[in-house]
Amino acid sequence: MLRHADKTDAPVATAVEFGVICHQLDDRTSLISVEGELDLSSAPELKWTLLDSLDAGRDQLVLDLSLSTFMDSTALGVLIGVNRSLGDGGRMAIACARNDVLHIFELSGMDGVFAIFATLGEALAYIQRDPAAPRGAAKAR
Amino acid sequence: MVSHGSEQRSPARPLSRAALIVLAACCIALFALIPVAIARPAHHGKGKHAIFGPAQITTNPEAEQAPAEQEAAAAEEASEAPEQVQTPEQQEVATQQGGAVGEQTARTRHKGTRESGHHKEGAKEPGHHKEGAGETERSRESGKHGEQGQPVPTSPTTDDPAATSTAMAAPPAQPTASIASTVAPVVAAAPSTTTAAVAPSVADTSIQGRSSGRAHALRSASAAARRRAARAVPAEHALATVPATQLRAGLTSRSSKSSSGARRQSSRKAAGDGRPSPITTTITRIVAVVPTPVRVLIVALLALALALAVRSRMAALRTGRLERQRGQLLEDVGLLQAALLPVPPDRLGPVGTSVAYRPAAGPGAGGDFYDVFALEDGQLAVIVGDVSGHGRHALPHTALVRFTLRAYLEAGLSPRDAVQKAGTVLERQLGDQFVTVVAAIYNPRERVLVYACAGHPPPVVLATHGDSRSRGNSGSDGDHGSRVDSRSLQPVTVCSAPPIGCGLRTGTRQSVVSVPGRSQVCFYTDGVTEARVGDELFGAERLLVTLAELGGQATASSMLESVVVQTDSRADDMAACLLQVQGGDGTPTALAEELELDRRQLESGRAERFLLACGVSQAQSAEMLGAARAALARAETVVLELHLADGPPRMALRRDHLSYLHAQHENVEVYR
Repeated sequence: MLRHADKTDAPVATAVEFGVICHQLDDRTSLISVEGELDLSSAPELKWTLLDSLDAGRDQLVLDLSLSTFMDSTALGVLIGVNRSLGDGGRMAIACARNDVLHIFELSGMDGVFAIFATLGEALAYIQRDPAAPRGAAKAR
Repeated sequence: MVSHGSEQRSPARPLSRAALIVLAACCIALFALIPVAIARPAHHGKGKHAIFGPAQITTNPEAEQAPAEQEAAAAEEASEAPEQVQTPEQQEVATQQGGAVGEQTARTRHKGTRESGHHKEGAKEPGHHKEGAGETERSRESGKHGEQGQPVPTSPTTDDPAATSTAMAAPPAQPTASIASTVAPVVAAAPSTTTAAVAPSVADTSIQGRSSGRAHALRSASAAARRRAARAVPAEHALATVPATQLRAGLTSRSSKSSSGARRQSSRKAAGDGRPSPITTTITRIVAVVPTPVRVLIVALLALALALAVRSRMAALRTGRLERQRGQLLEDVGLLQAALLPVPPDRLGPVGTSVAYRPAAGPGAGGDFYDVFALEDGQLAVIVGDVSGHGRHALPHTALVRFTLRAYLEAGLSPRDAVQKAGTVLERQLGDQFVTVVAAIYNPRERVLVYACAGHPPPVVLATHGDSRSRGNSGSDGDHGSRVDSRSLQPVTVCSAPPIGCGLRTGTRQSVVSVPGRSQVCFYTDGVTEARVGDELFGAERLLVTLAELGGQATASSMLESVVVQTDSRADDMAACLLQVQGGDGTPTALAEELELDRRQLESGRAERFLLACGVSQAQSAEMLGAARAALARAETVVLELHLADGPPRMALRRDHLSYLHAQHENVEVYR
């Protein structure tokens, strides 16, 4: 319940420190850049941004966490939920270089499910490759 | 428990409400009529005198005196009810009394009319006809006594209650008066709306037909009372301001003086009777000058105030009821929470156990859960998990996951198998939610801990024999941390299994750890490691240091307290389960790692990273992966086992629960 708190409940300080920007790259691809701390209060915003993109028919998602300074298991839960919402042909690539965030992905066992790359370029290249390519085939390490 | 209570109360609720409404209606009517009644004080006065009449029998020397006094007492008691005279019941009683009284008074003054009046009244009440006739005879007797004993036996006195009382006090009147005394409470409780209707008519008839038999007695009584009121009011210079009583007062004023003696007598027996009290007088005067619309307004306001008072009372009752229900609910919540977060014994076999839980916000149970219990063969099982989401919605899944895992562990499955089976079974039931969990079994005889995680942080295993506090100065923080690290197990987190409920195969990893010496094993939820210290996470490293500082006396509660002290904010629930394993020296070491491989993990390179993280050389890894690839050509999954106890890692491949032959290389052995 708390994790699904309305984003208007988010503290002002967090709202200032946190931002989600969604770029429409093409008809099927969205680039979502996250800046600031991805935690209990800001994770819902990321969730709605990602789901809005899926609703708009853009199911090739590139999530850029390069500027994200913090991520906890709440945000991980959001990504797990969105990953489950991906339909056939939908893919999500995550660009993340922070070790603590990567450790969270690893502990959760979801590093084998998400396609995680060290740079945004690798993530974009993965998404723009043949959509039939198996998810998770390319790894950051 | 709650429903039981409400069932008990539900029948009483409408009853009390109906009683309240009836009471409120009565009170409203009472309030509404007080001004009217006060405006006609004659009725009250009349009533009192009609009843108090018998009390004046003081001069009767005959044998009837004793019953007469009884009668007086009964009548006096009856007269306690203020509105008694005006009600129909009382009218009847008064009529019966009047039968005797009327005869007596008529005999004194208007003999002929007395007879006709008696017949008329007797015709009205056939049941009393015979009795009335008897009364006539007897009342004549008593009437004589009354005449003899009357202090003022002049003819005007016959209108006065003093005279009527003589007849009433006579033995024939006794039964009727006793009826009056029994009726009195009923009369008092009856709505006073009859007061206004009955009183004027009685008053009028008393003026017109003074000589008409039994009815005459009542009328004379009312007239006398009115006279008294009229006398009182003029005495208080209010005659002109009380138009309602003015006329009647004038009509009856002729006997006002002569009745004063009798009144004095009656006031001897009944204290407080007589002149209206100053309060009544004041109210009478105020009411008299208040215009009718204002009176109506006052009555309406009084009714409103009464209604609000009743409503307030009912609200108070409801509040009390809700308070009781809330208490019961909190008890229930406590019971449910205890069912989800059980309190284990302090010690299970040789292992000290403790658990702790700190909700992030709000009441009670969130998504975290734990369980510690003994298995049949002396082993010890631990479950710690976290359901995504919090609050009430997480509770059903919390219970479901905990009991499912507990059942599988008690049935004898290994932690990995239990998690895998639970993952398969619970996948459909968790809906959108997912669960991270760690299940573990500790074997005290072999001092081996086996655990399997699903998206959950692995337990911290730390030797406490080399307690940092016993080593003297611990030096710098980094030094301290490294020393703690040397005494703790570094878990392999590569290729961790995903949470239950993600739509993915889970229960793919299991670790076997040797706990040779005195150690503590701490299971926790991510709320602990994700608590914030400034901009950073609290993290597993700080948790390790915290445990080392607390040492062998640490409990889960003291550990969480320490975490709370060290951190700035805690957004998530924190749950922890701490095992204190007794023993000598010895550092925990990994005995074996188990990974269930599928083709995708093999292709993605995760399997290779896992092998490397476990200390397998690059060459051995490539060799092993080749064997696994061959095995996966014939099976969906294959289990890769690494034995890390002595010397270089030894590897084995097996299909789940079946041996899988791969004996081409010496460092790859057939297992089972």
